[in-house]
Amino acid sequence: MNRTAAIALGLALLGAVSVRGAAPAVDYAKEIKPLLRERCYACHGALKQNNGLRLDTADFIKRGGKHGPALVARKPEKSLLLTKVSATDPAERMPPEGDALKPEQIELLRRWIAAGAPAPKDEKPEPSPSEHWAFKPVTRPPLPKIGNRQSAIGNPIDHFINARLAAAKLTPLPPAENPVLLRRVYLDLLGLPPTREELHAFLADTAPDAYERVVDRLLNSPQHGERWARHWMDVWRYSDWFGRRMVPDVWNSAPQIWRWRDWIVKSLNADHGYDRMVKAMLAADEIAPLDDETAVATGYLVRNWYALNPNEWMRANVEHTGKAFLGLTFNCAHCHDHKYDPITQADYFSFRAFFEPLYVRQDRWPGEADPGPFQDYDYSKNRKVQRLGSVRVFDKDAAAKTWFYTGGDERNRDTNRPPVLPTMPEFLGGKSLQVTSVALPVAVSYPGSKSFIREAEMKRVDEATTAAKQTLATSKTPLVEARLATVEAERASVLARLAADEARFGGAGDTNGLARAASKAERQFKLLAAKETLAKAEADMESAKQNSAAAKDDKVKADTKTALTKAETALIAAKKAVTDAEAALTKDSADYTAFSPVYPRESTGRRKALAEWIGSRENPLTARVAVNHIWARHFHEPLVASVFDFGRSGKPPTHPELLDWLAAEFMESGWSMKHLHRLLVTSSAYRSSSQYSVFSNQSSVRKAADTRRSTENWTLNTEHLQRNLTTDPENRLLWRMNPGRMEAEVVRDSLLHLASALDLRTGGQELENKDALITTRRSLYYSFNPESDGRSEFSALFDAPDPNDCYRRTRSVIPQQALALTNSKLVHDHTPAIAKRLGAPASDNAAFITAAFEQILTRPPSRAELAECDAFLKQQSTAVPKDGEARARESLVRALLNQNDFLTVR
Amino acid sequence: MNPSSANPAFPCGQLPRRMFLSDLGLGFTGLALGATLFNDGVAKAAAPAQPKFSTTDGRPHFTPKAKSVIWIFLSGGYSHVETFDPKPALTKYAGLTFDKTTLANPLTSDKHHKRFRSVPAQEVNVRDVYPSIYPMQVGFAPRGQCGVEMTDWWPHLASCADDLAFVRNMWTTDNDHFAENQIHTGRHRLDEQQPSLGAWIHYGLGTLNENLPKFVVLGGPTNSTTHWSVNSLYLGPEHGGVPLALDPKNPLPFGQRDPRQSADEQRAEYELIGKLNRLAAVEYPQDDALRARIKAYELAFRMQMAVPEVLDFAPENEATKKLYGLDTDATKQAGQRLLAARRLVERGVRFVQVYPGGYSTWDSHQKLKENHTKLCASVDKPVAGLLQDLKQHGMLEDTVVVFCTEFGRTPGLELRGGGKDGRDHHPHGFTIWMAGAGIQRGVVHGETDELGYHAQGEGHYVTDLHATVSHLLGMDLRRLELPGRKRLEIDHGHVIREILS
Repeated sequence: MNRTAAIALGLALLGAVSVRGAAPAVDYAKEIKPLLRERCYACHGALKQNNGLRLDTADFIKRGGKHGPALVARKPEKSLLLTKVSATDPAERMPPEGDALKPEQIELLRRWIAAGAPAPKDEKPEPSPSEHWAFKPVTRPPLPKIGNRQSAIGNPIDHFINARLAAAKLTPLPPAENPVLLRRVYLDLLGLPPTREELHAFLADTAPDAYERVVDRLLNSPQHGERWARHWMDVWRYSDWFGRRMVPDVWNSAPQIWRWRDWIVKSLNADHGYDRMVKAMLAADEIAPLDDETAVATGYLVRNWYALNPNEWMRANVEHTGKAFLGLTFNCAHCHDHKYDPITQADYFSFRAFFEPLYVRQDRWPGEADPGPFQDYDYSKNRKVQRLGSVRVFDKDAAAKTWFYTGGDERNRDTNRPPVLPTMPEFLGGKSLQVTSVALPVAVSYPGSKSFIREAEMKRVDEATTAAKQTLATSKTPLVEARLATVEAERASVLARLAADEARFGGAGDTNGLARAASKAERQFKLLAAKETLAKAEADMESAKQNSAAAKDDKVKADTKTALTKAETALIAAKKAVTDAEAALTKDSADYTAFSPVYPRESTGRRKALAEWIGSRENPLTARVAVNHIWARHFHEPLVASVFDFGRSGKPPTHPELLDWLAAEFMESGWSMKHLHRLLVTSSAYRSSSQYSVFSNQSSVRKAADTRRSTENWTLNTEHLQRNLTTDPENRLLWRMNPGRMEAEVVRDSLLHLASALDLRTGGQELENKDALITTRRSLYYSFNPESDGRSEFSALFDAPDPNDCYRRTRSVIPQQALALTNSKLVHDHTPAIAKRLGAPASDNAAFITAAFEQILTRPPSRAELAECDAFLKQQSTAVPKDGEARARESLVRALLNQNDFLTVR
Repeated sequence: MNPSSANPAFPCGQLPRRMFLSDLGLGFTGLALGATLFNDGVAKAAAPAQPKFSTTDGRPHFTPKAKSVIWIFLSGGYSHVETFDPKPALTKYAGLTFDKTTLANPLTSDKHHKRFRSVPAQEVNVRDVYPSIYPMQVGFAPRGQCGVEMTDWWPHLASCADDLAFVRNMWTTDNDHFAENQIHTGRHRLDEQQPSLGAWIHYGLGTLNENLPKFVVLGGPTNSTTHWSVNSLYLGPEHGGVPLALDPKNPLPFGQRDPRQSADEQRAEYELIGKLNRLAAVEYPQDDALRARIKAYELAFRMQMAVPEVLDFAPENEATKKLYGLDTDATKQAGQRLLAARRLVERGVRFVQVYPGGYSTWDSHQKLKENHTKLCASVDKPVAGLLQDLKQHGMLEDTVVVFCTEFGRTPGLELRGGGKDGRDHHPHGFTIWMAGAGIQRGVVHGETDELGYHAQGEGHYVTDLHATVSHLLGMDLRRLELPGRKRLEIDHGHVIREILS
């Protein structure tokens, strides 16, 4: 769009110029080529050559296509290009899509042709799509030689960074001071700042590997998995259930989806490979069908589920699987062939076909009651918030057909085309992908056969029998006797059903005979249950009669009459139920109730094929995309700016060799994310300072630095810095570390952590956002969904992600953040604890101020800051009548939480 | 009636035209300055997380007719045929099915498929056709000099008829309440979502008052599923609508001092924050984020003072309060919100999105007559009062007022829930009106067919309102697009030139 805008603006300006005076010469490279690229290349360029025509060089244009040359130099009126773009008949006009070219654009073309269509001699055509950097296999490049600028740490990353810096004559900033580094790496790996004690311990540790040991400790902390889970939850679009939460009515995702979130945390802490995680999320049910703990990973697909419209589910699966794992915008090919990448509209539907047989199922979880089957959508019913059990996907309909449709509207189905089969686009291997169906074990197709369910059912009826017997021992009434008869019959029926199941699914014993017995036992149980209900109805009828007879005044009489009628109706129904149950008992049947729904014995294997291909070493995109996401979160800027678009219209990497080296290293380390984290955060690039000051001479730089820095031996002078700033003001080549800002979750968690109030329990059902400011679990455990209560008010102000789309967070500075950090209950509730925790004696302001700075900002105050804070404490202690000193100290704590360094990751 | 004859008489109270456009020189200085301050500090300075793009400079793209917008949204879908598009044919053919009248059967029109897309898949969509014609539930008459027909439920607004421009051929594509988001974002539930109109305006236009947010929401979003209608999505949270509560003591999220702290203590604390951050700024003179944060704190403190002042109606005289119906329970809520809107616009807020009532209040599947009688009465006087008040303040010359809903109601009888006295959702045709800066007075544009079913001609999709409003503000939404965020032709809409003055 930027380009469009730029062109539009450029043309508008040019238009204005041309009206005024003699038309200046048209610049092909600046004025013609961008226009053709924007409007024509998609069909007449490297991607496609409709009618044999390419327009991506002047020579190609002159050569033309099937209909002859597209231009005749100096003869605009004879040039097909001009005729086509000026045609008024929509069937004739080019480009066929979107608005016609503007008159001033056509005029530019005309003048260019009239001038003889001049173009540079060495003009190069668009490279072939297969030459695109991200579509080529990942090969590990050699480490660049960096001469005397060898990294002191010897981290391969620095070879790449420093080689580029040297080539651009840039000078890296020196390492960050230790407190800054410690805070940076804590916030990065845990999402929590170091405490004052941790700061002191680190500063006291003079061992050469002190930092590396901190890194290892943080990577092994359970909080690390929570921190990085939240990052991946952005990319994988984690969302708790939503739809109509106020009703409540579940339309999207599922109330048990939090098990997927907990799986992410656990998998990251256990350093399961990225490939393994991706495969599990797409196809755990096919890859490890018996592993219930992993099956919840398919929550990735359940999250996209939409009760009202299955097409919408498929759309989300295609779009986000493409973007999250492959960095491909398949969604652009929903309505037409992709304009930039070799993905046809047919490819879009072929990709969708991987997901076509999908549905969601609900499984019982050990130790929990039976949630029953997954509730389908019914227009007239609300879908319940079912908290029991787990959810996962399965291939419900192996024969489900994927139809090609047009206009992005599934109603426009093209039934003349045969249904589409699952394949990848040609440039990614096409039909070579083998899909083999997967036979599923019985425990998967019939979870009721699992021993924990069988045992739980036996336990349930055993306990009911014991309870009924105990009641009978104390009060022997017909009703209690009927109760015992019912539960004993139920126990017998459960036993018979279990036996029948065993024969049916275990393959041993007289299947038919046992099924008949189970059926009979179940009907017997139903009869006894009906009789128990009848006995109750008779008793109710009796007491209703007595009440009616005893009634005196009119009001009571009316009430008892209603009750009597009700009891009569119930009695009639109960009698009928008994008669029906008796009749049922005489029938011959082998039908009995299963202990769970029964699912297909086979899965198509489509997603398994897809997942294994995505997670393979040969896939050119997967590792690059993942490494870029990880890099972006450590360095606050990605290597490839378009994080979900690695296609031809995406941005090129700032460090292509580094990206490829990391991708190779990542895959060859078994896709170990912890390995990658360690590699990144121990590089010199990561450890360098993010801050610089430009002063008039070097000595003042040193002086300013010395007020806070430990003495660093660094040689960057003003001249170097000026060159850095002039050559690379945006720090693309990483001559310094990028500063960052705490994410919404980190703001809240850090506040609680500094007050020692953070509740570090892990996992479980999501908590409500209305409680986010008064309860103290980590932020990732609070409800997160696209409804307006789907993020806490506090988090939303600090750029909490959009649950529908957040491949990269925004970082805004808005006044409401200031209000939240000064006025919120959260801040006021916890400042006293932070102040108290610092434990400085009442008389010693300086000690308190230093401790507060160290605890909140992980650094001592500068002299000026100390003086300013001391003056504040003195003034406020006397100005505030009651508890002046304590209140002043709390106020100081709050002020430091609002000091820019608190939110900033320096 | 002759819909195109604008009448120069001002039944709501004539006042000399304030020369907003003629003092553009001064106006623009103010605008540009505000924009500079805003863009320099608070908005984008510290957003390197997004790919770099040239942000707007906060100036209009061309000479604006209006400074601000009051966008009044009535949630649930008011019946167009019983408000601003009366259809006597409904009464004439009452009880008949559509195929039994002498008129073209609207159910077989190809417009049906083209303009309507159900969110539930076809297999479960139960909202399609209501074959039995339901008569009009209220009388109607020509109003004002222009003679526009309005129903009897709008006695006050009828007196402003000569100020209004009606668009009777609006259409949308969702037949359920996600259409409330659609009219604000331009996107159907099944399509990728886009920022709301208010957010685009916020993104594109500079501020006129640094102490107040540019995009304010009153009485909404109405429900947890309708926040898309004020959302800024990829434009960033700073461009989203700021919901203000009408309680001057606590209008803004976190806008109230904690009760444990005194005003003096807070002031001292703010001062200390300012000093500490400025000390840091001396150390890091190149840090844009830090400079932005210092500004944000100053703005926050001023905002905390300025917002309660706007929402405190004490300075308004009794006549004004009465004008908005603050003295009557039935009209009080809408009146307060609309008066607050006037006060916000008066102080330079760019876009005020007002919900006079709650979520889906107009949704009259049953008892349409009862509901609409009550609901019209709840907004009729306050809205007429707003128009009159804006005039009295000379503000109608530079403020656009939009009055709209998410869709109309079916000419046929709703069959569900008893099926005797209501109408279902109707995306195929509905009516909105606009008034104020740059808008013709007393005109009707477009029509539905005789049965009030289909918007005739091309009709106007909801984004035509976006195009019109932004055009009046001097903006072309096309120029605001962000790289990598695909906007479609339909998102931009077309300016409804027929109602422009």
